[in-house]
Amino acid sequence: MWFIQFFKSSIGKKWLMAGTGCCLLLFLCSHAAGNATLFYSLALFQSYADQLHSHPLIVSIFSTGLLVIFILHIITGVLLTLQNRKARGHDYKVKKRSSPNSTASSTMIYSGLFILFFVLIHTYVVSFGDHSQISLTISYLFSSFYVIVFYITAFVVLAIHLSHGFWSMLQTFGVNHPRYNTMIRSLTYIVPAFFLLLFTAIPLLFLF
Amino acid sequence: MTTTSINLKLEIWRQKDSKATGNFETYILTNISTDMSFLEMLDVLNEQLTREGQDPVAFDHDCREGICGMCGAVVNGIAHGPEPETTLCQLHMRHFKEGETLVIEPFRSRAFPIHKDLVTDRSALDRIIQAGGYVSVNTGGMPDGNATPIPSATAELAMDAAACIGCGACIASCPNGAAMLFTGAKISQLSLLPQGHPERKERARSMVATMDKEGFGNCTNERECEAVCPKGISISNIARMNREFVKASLL
Ligand code: FES
Repeated sequence: MWFIQFFKSSIGKKWLMAGTGCCLLLFLCSHAAGNATLFYSLALFQSYADQLHSHPLIVSIFSTGLLVIFILHIITGVLLTLQNRKARGHDYKVKKRSSPNSTASSTMIYSGLFILFFVLIHTYVVSFGDHSQISLTISYLFSSFYVIVFYITAFVVLAIHLSHGFWSMLQTFGVNHPRYNTMIRSLTYIVPAFFLLLFTAIPLLFLF
Repeated sequence: MTTTSINLKLEIWRQKDSKATGNFETYILTNISTDMSFLEMLDVLNEQLTREGQDPVAFDHDCREGICGMCGAVVNGIAHGPEPETTLCQLHMRHFKEGETLVIEPFRSRAFPIHKDLVTDRSALDRIIQAGGYVSVNTGGMPDGNATPIPSATAELAMDAAACIGCGACIASCPNGAAMLFTGAKISQLSLLPQGHPERKERARSMVATMDKEGFGNCTNERECEAVCPKGISISNIARMNREFVKASLL
């Protein structure tokens, strides 16, 4: 089949990675918008959660879609890592990186797995928890210092992941043009920084 | 101009043939003129080894003026050595310090088996070219050179891509052993020009398929290739190849 053929090729896998990454980024935007209600009040956040869960059909369609995309992103990432290790073969005695932001690009699999670990815990504790009590759950969670540290670490790791991922996604989609490259270069840092600030500000709200 | 000379310690990968395991050997070189090129320095080492009755270090080279793409080794972790946009043959010893240790390794990748010492088999790149690096030319009278107008900016972009000498440094430096900068440059060079349009889709499909079949890795946009390319080939060529391949496969 032509599309299986496409996704089996090296460029096809790249597109799969970038396409699912793009969807996950959009999800992150919507999640961030929902969480932003916390900046107003805990009550507003609770009513947002109640509203959302009063439409179970929408919630289940979106979460199933999200799950599929998430799994595809992970499987492709792990597959690429394994295949590429084999293709590299023998390692060099002296290892040196010459590219910009190589810390993020060479650790994508590790930052990705850490984010997965965070998401699993988050889903278990928050998403499968009692929605009608969500505001109580999070105030309780964020009263623990360790939870806050873990939460902030996860978003730092996510920011590192995105600092390569965002640029990489555009490059894969073929968006590389002198007219836009300066803008893309700054967005590569602005986008992760935006999510980092927004999400880490939330536990701090509970501290003060 | 004053000529100075330096003393060096070399750690070179020695491997008898493609089946041998290989290991690093250490050599001491004294009085190397800083005006020498890197390959001339290896020539001096080989003369010394021959006089001592040892096997000289095998390394690839041809033009020695940075245009053929035959030379290449990884020096202290960087393909073609520390000077940006410089092939190994054009790298001069004045860029090294007195008493420095140089670790010299062959270009490595699963798709580049080692023949001997620093000589690797890079014929996989030739097979990628064979898969689509051609254009259709009608027989008959000689066409007028100016009959097909090409905007100067486009011609320059095609020329930039055509600057690729196919040395394989991009693959050697890629953490994934991917050949996308090379293939991207070759696809771009022809797809940018009207002469390359008739086979445009076919070319993108078959060159990418050959690249995958030869055992190169998958690009994850690490940008090491662009950083070490002796000809400064830009990864915008990879972006163009991505577009070409998607258009050819899905549209
Ligand atoms: S020997 Fe020809 S490019 Fe170096």
